[in-house]
Amino acid sequence: MKNKQQIQQEVEKTLNSLDNIQRAEANPYLFTRIKAALQKEEKSVWALAIGFMGRPVVALATIFLILMINMAVFFTVKSQPADEDQQLYANEYFSNTTVSDYENATNE
Amino acid sequence: MDELLLIEKLKQGDEAAFRQIVESWQNMVYNTAIGILQNAEDAEDVAQEVFVQVFESVRSFKAEAKFSTWLYRITVSKALDHLRKKKRKKRFAYIQSIFGPNNETVIDKPDFNHPGVTLDNKERATMLFSAIARLPENQKIAFTLHKLEGLSYQEISDIMKTSVSSVESLMHRAKNNLKRLLTGDYERN
Repeated sequence: MKNKQQIQQEVEKTLNSLDNIQRAEANPYLFTRIKAALQKEEKSVWALAIGFMGRPVVALATIFLILMINMAVFFTVKSQPADEDQQLYANEYFSNTTVSDYENATNE
Repeated sequence: MDELLLIEKLKQGDEAAFRQIVESWQNMVYNTAIGILQNAEDAEDVAQEVFVQVFESVRSFKAEAKFSTWLYRITVSKALDHLRKKKRKKRFAYIQSIFGPNNETVIDKPDFNHPGVTLDNKERATMLFSAIARLPENQKIAFTLHKLEGLSYQEISDIMKTSVSSVESLMHRAKNNLKRLLTGDYERN
């Protein structure tokens, strides 16, 4: 079992063990890999589409367009008179006659 | 070819210039990445990502900082991202192992041997790398850049966008933490 002094000496030697270390060398085919990765990115349609949609100007313009369409539809619907089906629906569920009929209905 | 000229050509998409940049800097990038990640495969992946980013964003490189500083920053950033992603996966796998049917234990990574360490220092270096892996991120970065890349505190401060005194403090804390961790490791052994 090592005593404290021995351990401290080992610790100091360990801390200095990277002195004179040589640089690790990269794979000699790294450039080939990088080129392949770049070409793969170019071909990816999704990557292109996402990249295009991800641009702030495009994203904001799309959101604005959707909002404008929603508002146009909303105001268009609001300004139209209720059609026949809507009138029947309103009569069926919201007219006073229907409510009082229910109240006065007898069990048959 | 002059570095600035190379960068200008790269901005125009010149492949020959890009190849020359990769060949000039690949060992620096790889060595920095392997020091942080302590895994050769991961370091290769990160080196690839770094140069892909260099190619894609070189137009935004202004010559305010040195090219090497910019490259180190990208490398450190990519390496840290990779490290955090791995830790998240490990944590998730561990949680799965608790609740999953197989109860498989998470496999610890093997000891890291840096290819550039001299033979007589290999065992000690392995222990040191194990301790470096347990340092907080900033201390790990500063210590790795200083010991593995031989960078000065000024250069490290440029890369980490901090002051020289902060780097001195990081190194001081890193060394103290490493002494503490190594003492514990040696006492256990």
